[in-house]
Formats: sequence, C-alpha cells, structure tokens
Amino acid sequence: MYRNKKTGIIGIIITIIILITIVIISNMKIEDFSHIGGALSSFVMPVQNGITYIKNKISGNEAFFSDMATLKEENKTLKERNSELEKSLRELEVIKSENETLKEYVNLKDKYTEYTTIPGYVINKNTSNYSNIIVINIGEKDGISAGMPVIADEGLVGHVISVTGTTAKVQTLLDASSAVSSVVGTARDAVVVKGNLQDTSKLKGTYIPTTATLLEGDKVETSGLGGIYPKGITIGTVKQVVETKNLTNRYILIEPAVNFEKLETVLVITK
Amino acid sequence: MKKTITILCIILTFFLIYFLQANFFTWFNINGIMPNLYVILVLFIGLFMKRKLGMTFGVLFGLYIDIVLGKNVGISALTLGVIGMIGEILSKNFSKDSRFIVTFMVIITTILYEVSVYLLTILRTEGTLELLAFFKILMVEVLFNTLITIIIYPIIKKAGYYVENLFDDKFILTRYF
Repeated sequence: MYRNKKTGIIGIIITIIILITIVIISNMKIEDFSHIGGALSSFVMPVQNGITYIKNKISGNEAFFSDMATLKEENKTLKERNSELEKSLRELEVIKSENETLKEYVNLKDKYTEYTTIPGYVINKNTSNYSNIIVINIGEKDGISAGMPVIADEGLVGHVISVTGTTAKVQTLLDASSAVSSVVGTARDAVVVKGNLQDTSKLKGTYIPTTATLLEGDKVETSGLGGIYPKGITIGTVKQVVETKNLTNRYILIEPAVNFEKLETVLVITK
Repeated sequence: MKKTITILCIILTFFLIYFLQANFFTWFNINGIMPNLYVILVLFIGLFMKRKLGMTFGVLFGLYIDIVLGKNVGISALTLGVIGMIGEILSKNFSKDSRFIVTFMVIITTILYEVSVYLLTILRTEGTLELLAFFKILMVEVLFNTLITIIIYPIIKKAGYYVENLFDDKFILTRYF
C-alpha cells in the first residue's frame, strides 16, 4: 500500500515535470537556448578563471588584484546606486506604459478620421484552440451592432458578430471561419484572406488570379467588397508565396499587421 | 445542505477553470495549444454524481461558454451535455479505481467533444474543413488533457467518491454486492 502510494506520487511528479518541459520547449525560440550555453559555460568558467589567475601570476599581472579592499568598497557603492536606479526605472516603466496606452487612443482616433469610430478595450479572449474570438467592453448601449468592422492602430482586427448591452464579441481575422475580400500589392490583385488552423498566427490568401504576380513583402489591404469592411484598411504583408502543382490552388501566407496576442485597444467603425 | 455546498463547489470549479483557460493557459500552453478542462469537469460530474446531473451541468456550462465566447449558441451546450451523459453510462460499466481507465475516458471524450464542436461549427459557419491541421491540434490537446488527468487523478478520485457517496444512496450496495 505504502509502496503503491509512493510510486503514485513519484508518477505524478514525473508527469508534472514532463508537462512543464513540453510547455517550455514548445514555446522556446532558438535564441532562448543561449541560457543553456551560459549554464554550460559556467561549468568551465571556474577552471578557466583559475588557469587565467595562474597565468597572470606567472606573467607578473598579480597587481590587478592588489587593491581588493578598494574594489570591494567601490562595488558596494555601485550596487546601492544600481538598486536606486532600478527603482526609478520601474517607476518610469509604469509612466511609459500609461503614456503609450493614452497615445494609442489618440493615434487611433487621428489615423482613422474619415470613419466614425468608438474606442474599446479587449476584456476577454476565447478559450478554444479552434476559434479566435475576443470580447470588447463596448456594446449596444454605445451604439455597437453586429457586422461592424473593428480596427486597431496597425490595421484590421475583424468584425462584430454579436452584442450585449455593454460588451461585443469580435471574430478576428485569425478565426478559421473568417474571410475578407482583399487586394495585394501595387497591381491590386484580388485575393480572399482567411484564417486557418495550420498556422494560427498567420492568414492565408486564396483564390489568387492565375495572372497575378505576388511578391514577399507586398502589402495586403481590404478591397471594400463584401459589405462589411471599408476599402483600404491594412491587413498585413505577404510573408510567403506557396506555389502548388495547380496554379489555381496556390496561396499566400500573410503576416497580420495587428499583433493579436498583445491587442488591447480597438476601434469599432460605426459609419 | 452538503449537497447544495457540493453543487456550489462544482460551479466555482467551473469558473476557476474558465479563468484558467482564459488567462493561465494562454501562456502555459504547448505551441499555442491549450488543454480543455471543461471536458474533464463534466466527465467527472457524469461519472460520480449521476442522476442526470452530468448532462444538466454539461448543458448549463456549455451554454455559458457559448453565450460568453462562442460563435453559435448551443454547440458547446449540446456536446458537453452528451459528454455528461456518456460519463453516467461509463460509470455503470467501468471501474473508476484505475487511473488508466479514467485517463482513457478523458482521451475518448476530449476527441469526441472537439470533433463534434469542430464539425458542427464548420456546418454552421460554412468554414473550410482543415482535417490535417485540426487533428494535429487535437492530438496535442489530448496529450495535454491526458497529462493533466494523470496529475489530478488523486483529487478526482478522492473528491469523486465523496460526491458519489453524497448523491448515490445505493453506492455501498452496488459496490460490495
């Protein structure tokens, strides 16, 4: 009984470790492995320091360590100074963040002066892996209704799908069932931009005309067709042109202009 | 009184899961993929509370999810209700003493829930069917749910038998005879 209980606890601990490891590794970028490099080098560094010290002794560089007491005193003063500076830095960060949010509001309003807009905050995000819905803090009482386009400072966010008195649900461009009629590049080739499950951080541009010449870096914006989105709102830039055997099936991957992970402020276009 | 408190605890657990899904798992995820703890909760209710409570709670929780965050009202309610009902059926036919069996039940119900929700959403919204991408996400989600079930199994078992004793008067008879 005792043994079984012990084995069970060990099993749970191992599973927790496995889960945390999977989560960490899956979210790591290659640059993050520099920490491992640092950790590995810390094994070698004490030996390396020792060798350098001996080498310095031999070559008569021991004078470098002679004024140890002065250095310690200096180090203490610098540490105190550093903590004071860190404190001021934190305060500045808070002020900066507040300033940025306010600026974002002002910029948004100025940028889209041709539309009548209502600003709102993102208050909730969906909890499913297969859809991409956000909830904003303005609703029917503020004049919002279903079908209205939603934008952010960088570009198009999506459209309102339903409203309550004080909130509205917005289907973002990344949602697998969203589709926006768009134009690409200076040639203004028409494509349909959709969300997809394959790469949920990118958009897919399909129904590309066979004569269209698309290049990476081309700007994608709304065409104004379809009745929901106004013309000329930035959607993103072409990240990759994927060629297929059949020319009609080729598609483009688009990097959205809006960073949906950090999206906080939006504007709903009412007119 | 005890039953009322237990039901309140179940509702509180649902909201706790809701906040975990909306906040914690947005960063503690596997390559952007979150687990689905609602399925585990409703299956738990179905397995241990019976009296059609699994189905009832499944429908209510599903409706809440649909209304607050869903694209269509009814899809999560229907599927979570079915999961609760399946939990009741499974409790009559399988032992809940085995970690392996409970984990297996979670795997099956997670697959069933996500496949149903995905297909019903596609039918309702006329979206494009991306089977391969869907199954890739589903597999990671199932793995996540499996690992979580293994970790919380002792809590499930302990809380489950407490709830079962409270809601099922015939519990002792069915267990020992």
